[in-house]
Amino acid sequence: MVETIKNKINIGSTLRNYGVMIGLVVIIIIVSIVEPAFFTGNNLLNILRQSSAIGLCALGMTYVMVAGGMDLSLGSTVSLAGVIAIMIMNSIGVTGNADVAAVIAVIAAVTAGGLVGLANGVILATINGRLGESFIITYSMQIVVGALALLVTGGQFIFGRFPEQLYSKLGTGLSPILIFAGLAIVMQLGLAKTNFGRQTYFLGANMNVAKMAGIKVKQLRVINHMICGMCAGLAGIIITSRVYSASPLQGTGYELDAIAAVVIGGTSLMGGSGGIHKTILGVLVVGILANALNVVGVNAYAQLIVRGAIIILAVGLDGLNRGAAIKGLVS
Amino acid sequence: MKGITKTFPGVRALDDVTFSVARGSIHGLVGENGAGKSTLMKILNGVLYADTGEIIVDGQPCRFKDTKEAQAKGIGFIFQEFNLINTLTAAENIYLNRLKIRAGRIAWKQVNQDAQALIDELGFNFSVTEKIIDLSAAQKQLVEIAKALSFDAKLIVMDEPTSSLTTNEIEKLFEIVKKLKSEGITIIYISHKLEEIYSICQTVTILRDGQIIDTQPVSSISKNKIIELMVGRSVDMEFPKRNTVPGEIVLDVQNLTRRGIVKGVTFNLRKGEVLGIAGLVGSGRTELAEAIFGAEKHDDGIIMVKGKKVAIHSTYDGKSNSIGLLTEDRKETGLVLDFNISKNITITNLPKVSKSGILINRLEKQYAQQFSDELGVRTPSINQLTINLSGGNQQKVVLAKWLFSDVDILILDEPTRGIDVGAKYEIYLLINQLAEQGKSIIMISSELPEVLGMSDRVIVLNEGKKKGELSRDELSAEAVMHMIIRSEGENGGNN
Repeated sequence: MVETIKNKINIGSTLRNYGVMIGLVVIIIIVSIVEPAFFTGNNLLNILRQSSAIGLCALGMTYVMVAGGMDLSLGSTVSLAGVIAIMIMNSIGVTGNADVAAVIAVIAAVTAGGLVGLANGVILATINGRLGESFIITYSMQIVVGALALLVTGGQFIFGRFPEQLYSKLGTGLSPILIFAGLAIVMQLGLAKTNFGRQTYFLGANMNVAKMAGIKVKQLRVINHMICGMCAGLAGIIITSRVYSASPLQGTGYELDAIAAVVIGGTSLMGGSGGIHKTILGVLVVGILANALNVVGVNAYAQLIVRGAIIILAVGLDGLNRGAAIKGLVS
Repeated sequence: MKGITKTFPGVRALDDVTFSVARGSIHGLVGENGAGKSTLMKILNGVLYADTGEIIVDGQPCRFKDTKEAQAKGIGFIFQEFNLINTLTAAENIYLNRLKIRAGRIAWKQVNQDAQALIDELGFNFSVTEKIIDLSAAQKQLVEIAKALSFDAKLIVMDEPTSSLTTNEIEKLFEIVKKLKSEGITIIYISHKLEEIYSICQTVTILRDGQIIDTQPVSSISKNKIIELMVGRSVDMEFPKRNTVPGEIVLDVQNLTRRGIVKGVTFNLRKGEVLGIAGLVGSGRTELAEAIFGAEKHDDGIIMVKGKKVAIHSTYDGKSNSIGLLTEDRKETGLVLDFNISKNITITNLPKVSKSGILINRLEKQYAQQFSDELGVRTPSINQLTINLSGGNQQKVVLAKWLFSDVDILILDEPTRGIDVGAKYEIYLLINQLAEQGKSIIMISSELPEVLGMSDRVIVLNEGKKKGELSRDELSAEAVMHMIIRSEGENGGNN
């Protein structure tokens, strides 16, 4: 009796833990059979390159979500950071040393992202907001930051006028993949192996317990939001570098793609669980699926339906798993 | 209930349990945490299914798929925690899901009338149009009972119904329970407080490790015998002695004030001392503790630790100044139940298990194991999730967490709430051990015998004010109650 129950639980938890990976392998196998052009080195590199910007956003989003929050301002932060970077390149990069300008542009864009995160974090920590408040506050911030991007550009698309040196290399070739991979490793260690990460999990799992354990809850929230904003800043750089231009609407919808990747990976919306390693899988699923649908030739509008359905499925499974976990543990 | 067996992963929660209750009686059900009381009742209520065995109601075998089916058979449930929606009225809560509809609209008049009739019948008077949030704990409890009665419950299970009630409210509840009995309603009464079993139950069943140990009329079994059967060994009911002489003053609180809640409280605490704080629920005990630890801000007053004035604005400040607080609600503020024992213990002092901010797995395991062992947490492994532990063991993990933090001043707010007799005694031993190691302890408890039995000194609070202080020699229940009552008299005069 006990044995069968144990076995059932093991199958359940295996699916919970490795379901995404299994799904990923299945997609790859099916698409490779249907369309041999899919499983080629070039196409795979292409997928990684295209996934890197969303991936960076998803890394930041993971921190905020594990901490029990949400950052809907991420998309417009990507836009603002990109716009700032390109404007700096178009001025300093043209008149002065383009490589020095690239460094300044990167610092400025990441700082801008960090400041948006700082604002989110400070507001949420001050009002002691929970998940619900973090939705509304960061959504409002999305509008504000989006408006800032429109203001500084006058609503115009900005073309790059700087020499194609260092800045252009950031988003092309292998560099976006390496930036994403490097940051993913660092952030994985940061969340899984440090005091800061452990405290973040407690914060997300139960803010009251975290507070009553003597954790600096407010500071922790601010830091997590700042990290998320800085990731968005980096994403803005990668995108603008690749397309050699900036649009104040560039990042529109990135926050939802990032959330999708995080949730598909298996990090719960409720906070306190999941992690970067899961998000990496989620990013790959989202990226590979989008590419596979293209390669197989699915209509662009129909693709949106598939994307939406996948997110609903991921969140639904998360909810069901949580319910199952609770039922199984009642004593 | 016949031959009920229920297994959870790795645990056999109930083992061939056969349990019967006579109509119109009040039947006590006792057992240590984890004995299987709640599991048994949840099966009766349709929340859980039994693996084997059957439930027989009035001679008919039944199988409940959910609580609704159990309700239809006249089985009502009153849980330890209230199952009410705070923002709705009492009447809405009673008839939730079953609001009478007339002409497409809710017949509020009828609903309120019916609800009021139920409440009135129970001999209470408050309006059912009041929101739950505005009701006292006893009134909420009553709403729960009315809810059970509203679907003609013939059997009501009460799981620790008095845990959040004051002495007065408990007496009222007992009157109602007795009244229900006289109307032919059967009650299964689960409680850790044996006094309650003796004052209202006719029969008591003792459950241990998922098995029925004995069923006896309460008149023919002694309290010590019940305890012995519950824990499976004889227990010394006295409070354990300790050999300590309180040393120098480590905490000096002067005129501490939280507007409207804590009013100018002054006291001190010595090294190796256990200082009890006595007072009724709502007297400001918890609020005082929160202010000292930094969980809530204080408006005025001075806190001095080891002779130095300290500024405490956050829980981090409290911890940095060697103050820890074991909160009264371990499930909401003490533990992350989804996390394992190890993580819950080390969270208060991560630097101790890390090097330059990076966690060292080996250190964490080693320390968590050490503290878990020292406190006698009964678990197969420190990787066990704390949700799977019994209340007493959870409380030991919370204690372990604060011991691990290396604080010298430990405030224990209701350290034995909701845990069974055996585990209580272990907690007392641990408190003594801590005092002997030179830790200073403030112990807040609603159970006066515990405060009296454990403390070197007691301060009495009432309505946020310190009403007096009693040394070990002066300590008695009468003296404490006298201080509380005298002060109530004074306040009455002032109003």
